[in-house]
Order: sequence, then C-alpha cells, then structure tokens
Amino acid sequence: MTGPAPVRVEKALALMPELEALAPLRALLVSIARPDEATQWSSSGPYLTLGKRGVHPDELRRRMPQAFHRITEHLQVLFKAYVEALECQQRGDAPGVVAALLRAGRLEEDVGRHTQARAWYEVALGVAEALQDRRPEVEALRALGYVCLALGEYAAGARHFQRSLALAESEFDQAGATAASEGLGEVALAQGQWGGAQAWYSRGLRLAEAASDAPRAGRLERQLGVLARKQRDLAAAGEFLRRARERFEPAGLADEMAGVLNEQGRLDAQLGRYTAASAAYREALAWAQRAPRDARLELSIRLNLAELDLEADRLLEAEAELRRAEQVAIGGHVIRRLAQIYTLMGRLRGAQGDETGFVFFEQAIELAKVVERSVATEAQVYHAYGLFRSRLGQQDEARAYLERARELFDSLGEAVERERVEQELRALSA
Amino acid sequence: MRILVVAGEGGSVGGLLQNVRQWADDGRLEIDTAPDLPRAVRQLAGRRWDVVLAVLGEHPDDDLSWWVDTLRAPGSPRLIAVAPAPSMGLVLRAEKAGVLDVLSLPLRRDELVRALERLRSVGIETAVPLPLVEPHAVGPYALVGQSPAMLDVYKLLARVAGSSATVLVQGESGTGKEVVARAIHMNGPHATGAFVAVNCAAIPENLLESELFGHEKGSFTGAVTRKIGRFEQAGSGTLFLDEIADMSLALQAKILRAVQEREIERVGGGETIPIDVRLIAATNRDLKDAIKQGRFREDLYYRLAVVTIRLPTLVERGDDLVLLTAYYVRLFAERYGKKIHAISDRVLELLRAHAWVGNVRELRNVIERAVIVATDETLRADHLPDELRGEETTLADRPQGGLLTLAEAEARHIARVLAHTNGQIGAAAEILGIHRNTLTRKMKEYGL
Repeated sequence: MTGPAPVRVEKALALMPELEALAPLRALLVSIARPDEATQWSSSGPYLTLGKRGVHPDELRRRMPQAFHRITEHLQVLFKAYVEALECQQRGDAPGVVAALLRAGRLEEDVGRHTQARAWYEVALGVAEALQDRRPEVEALRALGYVCLALGEYAAGARHFQRSLALAESEFDQAGATAASEGLGEVALAQGQWGGAQAWYSRGLRLAEAASDAPRAGRLERQLGVLARKQRDLAAAGEFLRRARERFEPAGLADEMAGVLNEQGRLDAQLGRYTAASAAYREALAWAQRAPRDARLELSIRLNLAELDLEADRLLEAEAELRRAEQVAIGGHVIRRLAQIYTLMGRLRGAQGDETGFVFFEQAIELAKVVERSVATEAQVYHAYGLFRSRLGQQDEARAYLERARELFDSLGEAVERERVEQELRALSA
Repeated sequence: MRILVVAGEGGSVGGLLQNVRQWADDGRLEIDTAPDLPRAVRQLAGRRWDVVLAVLGEHPDDDLSWWVDTLRAPGSPRLIAVAPAPSMGLVLRAEKAGVLDVLSLPLRRDELVRALERLRSVGIETAVPLPLVEPHAVGPYALVGQSPAMLDVYKLLARVAGSSATVLVQGESGTGKEVVARAIHMNGPHATGAFVAVNCAAIPENLLESELFGHEKGSFTGAVTRKIGRFEQAGSGTLFLDEIADMSLALQAKILRAVQEREIERVGGGETIPIDVRLIAATNRDLKDAIKQGRFREDLYYRLAVVTIRLPTLVERGDDLVLLTAYYVRLFAERYGKKIHAISDRVLELLRAHAWVGNVRELRNVIERAVIVATDETLRADHLPDELRGEETTLADRPQGGLLTLAEAEARHIARVLAHTNGQIGAAAEILGIHRNTLTRKMKEYGL
C-alpha cells in the first residue's frame, strides 16, 4: 500500500492560474516535485523533465506552513523596512528614509521580485532627489540601474548609471563613481558593446585602485577578464583573472573566488584545456561551498562544467552534471535556470542523434514562456532547437525554429545573437 | 595507502593528524593534510589518493553531500566523514551514499583502524576470466542470457514473431522490452519495414498526439511545418509504443481507432490515411490494475494483448547476470579502447548482492561507468560506483560487534520505508503501521 499515484507537475501547473499571488505556491510545488523510483530506470527516465515529475497533494499541504512562514518572514522584514522609513521621516532623517526604502527593494530583489524592487527604488529616488546631500541619490540611481539590468531594460539602466556617475563625480564620491562605472560596464557588456564595457570597467578599476578598494578592483578585473575572453584576447583574460584571484584569495572572499574560478574555467575551456577547466570548476564549487549558500552561483558553475563535458564529448559526465544542476535548481528555488538546463539536455541528446531529445526543448520553451517569462531565454532555446533539428537532418523544422529565434532576438534588439542565428540560416540555405 | 585529512570550515587538523599518524601509521600509510575544501580539491586533482578523512563543518549534511558529489566518480578516494556528534540521519544518508564510515569526534583509535582495515581487506581481489557469451544480435542491441526464464521468453518470441499479431510486452523497467520488440520485428513479416519506437511517457501529453499521428502546418501554435507522425513513419514496419500506460484516455481512444480501423488522421488534417503497421506495446505497469482504476481502456487492452510476453527481472535470471556483465564489459571495452579480459571475484560478489531495481539497464550503466574508469586488464571493485561498493564496505557492521541498537535498527527501517514512499510520510506511516504524528516525531528524533 503506497497510496495514490502522484500528480504530474505538467498537470498540476495547468490547474494553477498565472496569478502573482500564487508564485510562492508554484515555487513550493516545483521544489517538492520528484521523479518516482520506477521512472528513474524506465526507458523514459533519460527524458525526465520537470513536467514529468510527480507531486503528492498531501505533501504540498504538509509543506504549506513552511511556504507561509517564508512569505510571512519576507513581508515582516519588508514591512519593518517601511516602518523604519516612517520613523526616519518622523524625526526628519531623510537619508535614513532612503536607506530603509533601498533595503526594502533589496529584500524584494533577493526573492527575485525585480519589478517590486524597482517600485521601492523609485520611491527612494523621489525622496533622495530633494536632499542637499546627493549620495543617497547616487545610491538609489545605482540600485535602479542594476534592477533595470536584471529586467533586461538596458537603456533605462544605462541612464540611471550615467546620472549616478555624474552626481558622484560632482560630489567627489569616489566609491559611488567606481560603482557607477562598474554598472555602466555591465550594461555595455550585456548589450555586446565591448569597447564601451572595456572603457567603463577600466575607468572603474583605476578609481578602485586609487581608493585601495581591493574587492571592487578584483571584481572589475574579473569582468575585464570576461570581456577579454569574449574578444578572444585570451592572454589578457588570463592575466586579469590571475590578478583578481590574487586580490580575493588572501582576503578569503569565497564567493568572489568561486566566481573568478568559474570564469577561469570558461577561459581554460576556450583554450581547449579540458583538464585545467575541469579543475578550475571543481575548485570553484569548493569555494562556493565555503561561501554562504548561493544556488545561482552553484548552478552557473555546474552548467559550465556540463557544457565543458558536452563539448569534450564526455556525454555521461555531462548528463550526470546536468541532472545535479536540475536538482540544485529545483531544490534551491532557481527554476529560472531550468530552461537553460533542459536546452543543454536537448543538445546532449542531439549529440547522441536521439530524436526524442526534442522533449527537452519543448519543456525549455514552456518554462521560458510561463516561469521565466524571458524572451531572451526563449530565443536562445529556439536557436539551440533549430541546431538540434538541423543535426538530425530535419532542415525545414530547423529553419522554422531558427527563424523564430531570429524574430525574438530582433524584438529584443539583440544584434550579436541575431547575427549568429543569421549565419546558421545562411548555412542551412547554402 | 594514501590518506588526505581535510579540516572542516574554520577548523584545524593538527590534533587529528597527529592522532591519525600515531594510530594508523604502520609504514604503509602516507598522510597529508588540506586546511580547507578548495585546497583539498587542488590536492585531489594533483595526485591519486585512497582515502579522504574529512571533518564536517557546522552544516554536516551539506558538507557530506558536497564530499559525496566531489568523490562520486568511480576510482575516486573513499570518504571517511568525521563529525562532532553525527546524527542518525547523517549516518544513514552517508550509508546510502556509500561513504566508508562516519566517525565521531573526538576520534577513537579502534574506529579509525577498523575503517581502514575494512578498506584494506577489500583490496585483495582475484581475477576471473570473462566467460564466453553468444549474444543474439538485435539491430544495435543483443539478447543475452540462458536462464530458464529467458528460454521461455525466446520460445514465445519465436512463436509470435512469424505472425502480424499485436503484442504486449510487460516487465519491470530495464528488463529489455524494446530489445524484445525489435527481435519480434526483425523476425516477422514486417521486417523489411521500419521499426519506429515512441516513448509515450517521455513526450509531453499535449505533443504526443501530433507525435503519433502527425499534424498539418498551422494546426496549433508551434506547428511550424507539416509533420509526418510515427504511424506513417513506420509505414509497413512496426510501431513500438513504449510505456503505453502513461497515455491519456482521450489518446487511448484514438489509438484504439487506429488499431481497429487501420487508418489515422493528422492533427488539423481532414484526410484519412490508411496504415499497414504492426503494433507492439510495452508497459512496466499492471494494465489490469489500471483498468480497474479507470486509467486504461479495457477494449484497448484486449486489442493490444493479443499475445503477452512477460520479461523476468535481472534477479530472476540467475547466472545471466554474469553473462550480461561479460557482454557489457567486452562491448564497452571495445567502445572506449580498453583491454579488459577479466573481472575480480569481489566485483562478481558485489554485483550478485545488488538489488538491481533498474534491471539490465542499471547493470549496463554500472558496467559502462566501470569500464570508463578501469585502468588495467581486470575490472576491480574500486571501479564500481560507491552505491555498489558501499553495500560491502560501508557502515553495515556498525557499531562494534556488528549488532545494531534497537534505535539504529528502527531508524534504518524508517529510512528505508521513507525511501520506498519517496518521502511521503502518510504512505510511510501506513506501511509502518503507526500514526503519522508518531512517524514525524521519530524522524525528528533520528534526524531523518
């Protein structure tokens, strides 16, 4: 007697309307979803996706208090931040009001509620703009810049960082100017404007070094390393990363070390140094284990490791790593990365000539649309899906998916990725 | 034997190292230390180690998972975890993951020596030459086995293959249902046609219909081109519907129509397309039970189960395990360019002792991974994954004297039942015959 069979996630999610208020319930449902033991060894086991996992209503009911606790806890700290803002207002401490409102925004960002965070930051900016001291405004603008970046609103992000930089410079706020330069570099990098990114990061680095701000200087060097790798200046990338490591390791900054080693792995992979890349990723995971738990960072490292295995044709290892990443994403409430995980799974099946691998792309598209709501991710999935179909000799379907990817990249104004898709389409027609 | 002693977060291994050297150093041990996890990873990458003695930090469960994950590859050093006060839950999780031992701090000499002795004792292995196997090739697969249970399958297969009858293959996951379906196809009147396999459980429910019957361009969102379905692709060959029990009732009705009328319609198309396909279905579920529960159509069952072939589990196949092992060792040795001519007696013991929930598929998986990491001509126990090695060399004989306390036995049984019910407390409580509140209390008590 093992009770009734679990309900499949695909069916469970179909019963839940797309309401913002249900997001925590949706996250809880996904996090407790499990494959049953029989499925793991069945012939459908290798194709298992989130939708095919099962949930027991009984378990969902049992775990609901935990979800309520998390929601209440979040609302409590959020409300407290607001009350603090009110108290500051009462005693005429306007910078304190801004600080409390910014804290509330960060709390929202921590749980992935970027739109809500932006609302808090906008209120904070409104208060800060009326102040004599411009530093709170510099900070509020920077927070807005980053949240716009997270929302994919690059132009708005760049405007906030520019204003933040101009104000910081006029106030001789070196730390503010450094941070704004870093933010402008991030926006340029996200848009593929590498020359601009390099100029902003270099400027930020000069400022950070002048202020002896080692952690920020290390982060900027890491970003310059990322940029150099993207521009295929691999020697320069290696040098930047080495310098970043030298700043982070003596200070024992575990999360920063994990980040820089993750990037070192990507560089080694690009140089074709499989063993070195694998060692760098493994060490990155060890540093991540020392740092406060950050499922996003761990996922990033594991996905890079899986991609490395995939490119080196080590398909068994790649699959094992992707399944671990899937577990981290589901257990760690980082469902947004599942689309990327399933896209890689699909690529892996494509490498094995396995047509049924299409199920991973279908699931990834579904997740990109419904859970992640990211056009960029959807475009990337269609791009990979097109290549998968092409690899299997299904040229008409390949063309259709690549055209869909091109259309989506067009809608985002994403020039670099669009050009890559265009090249694939030209190759198909040739 | 080379041992790497790794400190927990913020800890030091000075005292521990001194004790380990003092107690365990008999001239055959080489011991080194790592002050933290990142440096341990660097040292592990640098040379070969036999044992990692790791002190778990403030979050022992997380640390244990991390170590198990880091040392998961066959051929990695074995793990001895050390924690100030290991909970029963931690010990059970370690046991399940194949950890060599979990020791409590302060470390006791007898416990450490016993753990290392256990590892040494399993190091003595005798090579057994691989037996000769005569596989019956089935396309890219093969039928291997001479057990009475399999001989019955071969006889039935030979009788049914010659006809065009619809066949239902039943068996647990990994017993080889698709191989049998291919064998029927290759030895039957449809052999000149294609063999098309569809895994009904793998494909999202909303796509399965178009996958089977095809669709016209634009018939639904995502129908970017016209698609020829699997029924049509199979032509005058065989369509193998795997995991048929996972199909919705609506789709079952459409399959029934296709089987009865011998014609299909593409999704979004008005044209009726005649089919001349042999249908073989397979399931790992009890379809009669599914019929009782209203989840499977009875009329479709009788259409599919004109002939039913039941496949035995790997455990029921006795010495076929050895033949299959030999077959897969040779297959993967050739694929990965290895020269493996023997397996050790201990490997055979471990394989025989394993439960094989995933049957032949699980065995294939285990042997493939073992062959990949094997470096010499004999497949040895340390080439096997920890889960298998763990069954012999882990915590089974804890504590001293090999006898468990009542609490330990209870905790282990609860952990097993919870694993069986996939963590469902209600179902586990029902099996254990206790109230769910009692079970919850015991789970807390044992740290499960």
